[in-house]
Amino acid sequence: MKLYYELKEEQKRLVQSDPSEELWYCVPLDLLYDRKNKVAEEKFAGKEQFIAVTTKRILVLNGNEISYERNLADCEEVKCETMVGCGIVTAKVNGAAELVARFSMRHIERVAYVARGADLLAKGDTEKITSHEYEKYCEKCGRALPGTSKCPKCDGKNVVIKKFTDLCGGYQWKLLGISAIMLLSSAISILMPYVQKNFIDNVLATKSGDMTDVAKFVGIMLALTAVNVTLYILKNWWCVLLGSQLSMDLRRKLYTKIQRLSMSFMNKRKPGELMNRVSGDTSQIRRFMEEVFGGMLSALITMIASLIIMISIDAKMTLYSTSLIVLVFVITRLYWSYIHKIFHRQWVKDDKLRSGLQDVISGMRVVKSFGQEEAEVTKFKALTADFAQVQKKNETFWALFYPMLTFIMGVGSYIAIYFGGVDVLEGGMTVGTLMQFVTYTGYLYGPLGWMTHLPRSVMQMITSLNRIYDVLDEEPAIKDGVEAKDVEIQGDVTFKDVTFGYNSYDPVLEHIDLEVKKGEMIGLVGASGTGKSTMINLIMRLYDVDRGAILVDGVDVREIKQESFHDQIGVVLQETFLFSGTILNNIRFANPKATMEEVIRAAKAANAHDFIVKTPDGYNTYVGERGFNLSGGERQRIAIARAILTNPRLLILDEATSALDTESEYLIQQALDRLTEGRTTFAIAHRLSTLRNADRLVVIDGHSIAEVGTHDELMEKKGIYHGLVTAQLQMAKL
Amino acid sequence: MDEEMMQSNLLELEEFDEEKMKAESADLLELRYLTKENAKFERTPGGFVTLTYKDKTYDRVGVYRTFPVTMPEEFISIREADEKAREIGVIEKLSALDPEQAKMLKEQLDLRYFTPEITKIFDIKTEYGYGYFHVMTTYGECRFTIHNGGSSVVSLTDTRIVINDLDGNRFEVPDIMKLTVAERKKLDLFI
Repeated sequence: MKLYYELKEEQKRLVQSDPSEELWYCVPLDLLYDRKNKVAEEKFAGKEQFIAVTTKRILVLNGNEISYERNLADCEEVKCETMVGCGIVTAKVNGAAELVARFSMRHIERVAYVARGADLLAKGDTEKITSHEYEKYCEKCGRALPGTSKCPKCDGKNVVIKKFTDLCGGYQWKLLGISAIMLLSSAISILMPYVQKNFIDNVLATKSGDMTDVAKFVGIMLALTAVNVTLYILKNWWCVLLGSQLSMDLRRKLYTKIQRLSMSFMNKRKPGELMNRVSGDTSQIRRFMEEVFGGMLSALITMIASLIIMISIDAKMTLYSTSLIVLVFVITRLYWSYIHKIFHRQWVKDDKLRSGLQDVISGMRVVKSFGQEEAEVTKFKALTADFAQVQKKNETFWALFYPMLTFIMGVGSYIAIYFGGVDVLEGGMTVGTLMQFVTYTGYLYGPLGWMTHLPRSVMQMITSLNRIYDVLDEEPAIKDGVEAKDVEIQGDVTFKDVTFGYNSYDPVLEHIDLEVKKGEMIGLVGASGTGKSTMINLIMRLYDVDRGAILVDGVDVREIKQESFHDQIGVVLQETFLFSGTILNNIRFANPKATMEEVIRAAKAANAHDFIVKTPDGYNTYVGERGFNLSGGERQRIAIARAILTNPRLLILDEATSALDTESEYLIQQALDRLTEGRTTFAIAHRLSTLRNADRLVVIDGHSIAEVGTHDELMEKKGIYHGLVTAQLQMAKL
Repeated sequence: MDEEMMQSNLLELEEFDEEKMKAESADLLELRYLTKENAKFERTPGGFVTLTYKDKTYDRVGVYRTFPVTMPEEFISIREADEKAREIGVIEKLSALDPEQAKMLKEQLDLRYFTPEITKIFDIKTEYGYGYFHVMTTYGECRFTIHNGGSSVVSLTDTRIVINDLDGNRFEVPDIMKLTVAERKKLDLFI
């Protein structure tokens, strides 16, 4: 996302009063604020209002005028606050907030970054922030971008088509084959009217032939038709094959890429959106190859060839009969866009009806218990009536006007018949030629209806391709450096002045310093949303720190090969995710080569062996979605066995025992105690009693470490930890 | 700032006891009305308002609507300006305050709520899953983009709709019957 918009020369001069002052951030604002009367104006700002932050000042520019300025040195804090449908930037000067600028939601992310940048400068921090987020609109054409970095219409098109042709490169023989078939079938289509013409003129018109001539003609036509149909089938078959192979290729590539991409990429996108790209967008490509690609070429070839032959027969008549082509094209286009519109409306109504129905049926208990059946019936009746009316109207329109459309499409032929007929009567043209001509006219007008959809289908395909390549081209944010090496982890972990935020304008952790010795168990404590899980994410290197470094045995984690690093980390999370498969496979997930004995030992250590053996299929029990139903505690113990089997040097427990009943908690606690022995462990627990074995507790509050120490030390300190423990004891009593 | 926050958190937690919790939840339960007798607002040089209520002065308060759609000037909630935004009290009717005080709060509401109303529709174009609007609003001419389908357009009543654009801005059409037939037709695709 752009944080620096180029200003006009005059504006630049305003901003740069002395040479040592550098303009760092500059983004547009769209709402006006009357600074004199201190009221929000009900008016959009022109295109020349900006909020600018230099190394020394924060300013608001309105045209060639500075409407607000403040030395950053005087600001205690600069903040972006979200309002309703808009946001404001405030600066705290001498303890009092003052309004800097107001803007609509269109600019809020950008301004939030700028405010954060200004805040850092105000606090004497000279780090220049950047944004990795995508723009929402194309800068050239203003179109909304479908979650991609490039506009499918402007710059995406050519690049993507080139990429697509590269991709098709692997199937060049199939493509050549399809093209050859299409050429051949077009040739046959063109040939058939010619054969017909000869028959009419030489046999029928002159009445000179006999039965064998008729039979010969029928035979030839039959053979040609048969060949054409075979070619058609072959073409479709290959197109389908090509389409599904291409989409499979893309799907595989996408999936592989998604696996490699970092969590920061995942977090920016909804899981549904990614799933849509893997399945929906690739299907779009397949559909395009099947339905459009094949037809497109052959229609074009046939049309051009027909036109050439028509001109060679009679140029004037060709002109007459094609004169309406543009008109027909426009009419069909209008017709289809109207049809699209009214059926879209029907779809919307249908959707409303459906969701209304779903609402009531899933909320039946509430409806019944409040006695609202009558009211709901009335509401539903209105919805159905509404839908029925729209549907009736649309179907009537379709029924009435579709035949008319077909008629319009045939108009060219009627013109040809008229002029040709006159010509035939006057002896200028034979009946056979006329028939041939009329057939070609049909060839010209026929695909028009279908061709009006073409731009739409092509654009849809390009959009889909764009979305796919957007993922494929994404570089993982976390990469192994050139120097990255395999390291055998011992277990010392050091946080060195670590600062990190999922959005860099909104830091979750700031200036974290912590040294953890090999084999130590660290309990992370703090209210929810304070950054405990974030700390763990950083240790697992699902994200890279914004500033500072995390060292393992004195080596920066960024210099360790990810695969070797992750191999040596074990994780037990709050919600254990079991993959579809057997218990055995789930335990061996990270270490598929483990022997049965090792698996059983791990399961025993995790207190899982007993319950596993009691299931009918033992270790071969199928779990996961639609599999054998395991309780939360049982799943958790499988996860622990999984972690034990990898024999990790670094262990991470994220709320591993929450949401369990007391008995299974005891079993799991035991298992965990065995697991954590001798390993560097980071554990998050809401229930503080779970952390009683921790060597040290780290209390996180307000983005940073508030307290560090053993349970006894912290209790004595009577700080936040003491407060949390007392609170939990009180709650337990209640 | 961080230290301050920590300190306050510390205090809160240290003094944890049941009595206090009960008092706090009782506090939440109470509906306190601010009236012209017990509350006094003042403009700040920075563009916000302060409140003096029951001998306590708040340097800056937030002014929220409780029924933004149906009763924009009644039941105005006055809240603390920090992230927790605890409620200080509710003003039943702005019109019951001194006109100058009411004006002050009205200005704060205008600052907080950006709800342009659409007065004229020039053009609506749909293209590849997005709807591009070109309209006249109470804030002036404006172009915005919405997602086709889904919940971009919400009907509040039979004639009143709210359009949410891609950015999260909300445009309201207070009465679609006041639009021309041609304008309604353009809009029809989304309702």
